[in-house]
Amino acid sequence: MLIVAIFGSLTHMSLDDLLPFLSSRDGALELFNLKRLPQVTLYFQKGKLNCVYLGSKPVDALQARSVIGELINTRKGSFEFIPGARAKGCPEMLGWPVDRLLISVTTTFDEFAQLSDRLPHPETVFKLTHIAVPDDTRLSDFWKRAHIYLQTGTSAKELASKLGMPLDHTRFYLLKLQQLGAVSAARAHTPKKKQRTSAAARLLGSLKKRFFGEGSAWSH
Amino acid sequence: MEPLKIVVAGPVGAGKSTFIRTLSETEVVDTDALASEEIGKQTTTVAMDYGTLHLGDQLLYLFGTPGQDRFDFMWDVLSEGALGLMMLVRGDKPEDFGAARRLLDYITSRHPVPYVLGVTRQDQPPVWGPEEVAPFFGVPQERVVGLNARDPRSAVGPLVRLLELMVDE
Repeated sequence: MLIVAIFGSLTHMSLDDLLPFLSSRDGALELFNLKRLPQVTLYFQKGKLNCVYLGSKPVDALQARSVIGELINTRKGSFEFIPGARAKGCPEMLGWPVDRLLISVTTTFDEFAQLSDRLPHPETVFKLTHIAVPDDTRLSDFWKRAHIYLQTGTSAKELASKLGMPLDHTRFYLLKLQQLGAVSAARAHTPKKKQRTSAAARLLGSLKKRFFGEGSAWSH
Repeated sequence: MEPLKIVVAGPVGAGKSTFIRTLSETEVVDTDALASEEIGKQTTTVAMDYGTLHLGDQLLYLFGTPGQDRFDFMWDVLSEGALGLMMLVRGDKPEDFGAARRLLDYITSRHPVPYVLGVTRQDQPPVWGPEEVAPFFGVPQERVVGLNARDPRSAVGPLVRLLELMVDE
């Protein structure tokens, strides 16, 4: 029989308060009554976070990062620690050292908060500019899942839905990839139209005449 | 002959209203309202600015978009069917470049509209020049033009460049 050893409310004890404590214990931390997430279960062993379950399903590394980010910022919910509990059927062991996880995730989300007014519009379409996995592990997890869709062009809104990630996190990763030059906005194709070209030529002549006089040279 | 439309976009305070006032030959219709938040000036455009320019027998509409995000629905409304897009950004305010890039990326990824990027306040150094701004925005150098939005001969520069690029396409 499992014994509930540790429990409480995230209002009084946040996940970043709990993580240092969990780095020396093996077991599962269940988080429930969360505002924006179903029940989350985090499995720890030998100082590492090995698996994250969202509801009854394990999530991949990219989603796990988003879930941890959400949890660190949430102050509404309850938790219980189940000592000795082990993950069953986790497709990939994350193996994230708990002490570094806190720094990595909080750094990401501090940066995220600072960039919030510069995040791309959810419907801006981005495309790959070159295929190279970013060195930063925070970005490479996103890259691995997203690059297939980015090859043909996609928006943060579409990606968030396809990857099962929060929209704002997707926008953040796209901005970081844009800053690295790995993606750029996909300019909508402007089909060559004879009518438009001739209108532009006509307007150009009239404009130069109006502002620079007949026969005057235009210089940039 | 059908009137043609040029959309003038950019962050708050980029010089959109000034640009349109400088080039318009009719009184500019604006929808300025007192700013409800600290944006660095007392009034701001809340729906659009509207001016006109007759070039030969062609009427050109100049539509300025509001700069604040909460009016973003106007960006689509005004960009639909536009002949070209003029994105303005203040060269002496690099903190606005991120917002301007975001806006340029949004409009040009959704609407097949030729564009140029105008870097204003070139008459008020220290100021970023077009050569320095182009890489930040990830756009070709020839699509970035410096200007002083108050001077008609300077303000018309980006419009000339836009039309030249369209002719050369």
